[in-house]
Amino acid sequence: MVRHAFPSLTFGRYTSSMSTIWQSLELLIVKGLPTTILLTLGLLGTGVLLGFPIAFAQVYGYRPLRWLCRGYEQLFRGIPALVLILILHSGLARSFNILLPAFTSALIALGLRSSAYQSQIFRGAIQSVSQGQMMAARALGMSKIRAIRYIILPQAFRLSIPPWTNEYSSVLKDTSLASAIGVLELTKQGTLIFTRIQFVMGVKYILVILILVAFVYLVLTYIGNAALGFLENQLRIPGFEMKGKVER
Amino acid sequence: MKRALLAVFFIGLLAVSGLAQTYNVASDTTWPPFEWADAEGNLLGFDLDVMRCIAALQGFEINIITYDWDIIFDDVGIGRADIGASGATITEDRELKVDFSAPYWTSDQAILIRADSGLNIVTALSLGYTVGAQVETTGAGFIQELIDAGVSVIIREYTLYPLAVLDLINGNIHAVIQDEPASEASATAEEELIIAGVIKTNENFGFFVAEGDPNGLLPLINDGVTQIKASGVFDNLVRAYMGTDLTKVEVAWKASIGLLEAGDVEAFAQALADGAN
Repeated sequence: MVRHAFPSLTFGRYTSSMSTIWQSLELLIVKGLPTTILLTLGLLGTGVLLGFPIAFAQVYGYRPLRWLCRGYEQLFRGIPALVLILILHSGLARSFNILLPAFTSALIALGLRSSAYQSQIFRGAIQSVSQGQMMAARALGMSKIRAIRYIILPQAFRLSIPPWTNEYSSVLKDTSLASAIGVLELTKQGTLIFTRIQFVMGVKYILVILILVAFVYLVLTYIGNAALGFLENQLRIPGFEMKGKVER
Repeated sequence: MKRALLAVFFIGLLAVSGLAQTYNVASDTTWPPFEWADAEGNLLGFDLDVMRCIAALQGFEINIITYDWDIIFDDVGIGRADIGASGATITEDRELKVDFSAPYWTSDQAILIRADSGLNIVTALSLGYTVGAQVETTGAGFIQELIDAGVSVIIREYTLYPLAVLDLINGNIHAVIQDEPASEASATAEEELIIAGVIKTNENFGFFVAEGDPNGLLPLINDGVTQIKASGVFDNLVRAYMGTDLTKVEVAWKASIGLLEAGDVEAFAQALADGAN
């Protein structure tokens, strides 16, 4: 039995071992965090790559294309992320023998969901650039595509950063749903750790491990939001920013 | 020149593919002493080390993947993983999805209760109390059979065993049914819990592969089990994992796994058993 320097951390019949807690945090960071970060980046990337074209198609596209994109967006915003994951990973595998690895299933399912949400962020940003600018560009002889590329897109991109920050924190936390199909990310790694901890230190330590997992997500969210806030400030053009300055 | 390079490449490819086949082994690693992850994330346990020894003897490589119990039979059945090594009882229902190896372990179910609850194995299962079990386990099946036979008992199923044990300690359920060695591990770890009794179900554990054994693994596994039982390796693994202190096993495992990686199966099992006791 080791007497510990922090008596307040002693509860139950076990003397809390700070080293075990540090070790758990290290394990979360080494074995769970990389997958979570990779999945988050993959999802955000998929979302931007699909979301931007969908948003432009919804605003400027021809009617059938507009309907198609609207249908896509409604479909993937209307299905719970977990159900999408299960359809892709378990449903398709059973019925059509499509054997996607768990990580790929999660990436596709959550990516589709995120692209639908992001398309609406970008659509809002595009529509907040006044229509007069498009008309002016067309009157000056620019094609629709050129006007979108040089007039609308640069402004829409800047305007979409603040709401996109929200999507980042939501996507990051959505990755925990991938644990349902066995992707070894932060949450799943957490369950493996508390399985062991309850046998070695007692069942009360499950709470400690879950708080550690929550803490890692919290830090990631904070870092990401701070980085995006910095980007927002860097790209700000006087006169064209969102109304009101945010102090950070 | 290009053609020569291509030939070298293909010969190399053939050589590599002829060396050692790697198979994915699926395991729900939340169930000591059969399979769990140590403080560094290394996966160990009785099933996993039996499988590792078989692989070493039969000359194939394995890659252990953490799996959720509720999808493990489906996923091995459709070939997403090649082998299942997860303390799985051979049952008729599961035989519909997967093919089992010859039995390598016999287990009984034990009923875990809170020491202060005043229940015993009969009252816990017959007076309308709630019993927790992991979903789709033979323990859950046993309680369901009691219910079907008209016995007054309620079942609550969990995706993970630790969550059932936690709910028992929290007082949300009255008992937990699971295999004996795992129940013992819980009772050892938690002062509040005791084993009310053991139900002799005589279940046989088997490793499992997709139906029809597409990779021809069952003969290798069966032969491997026979070999390690004959050489004393199996007995040493039993001595190392059953009824021992989990942290002690972890230390011993880390000290001896190098022997297995070097191919010395017998020395590994001996060192592991000696270190754990």
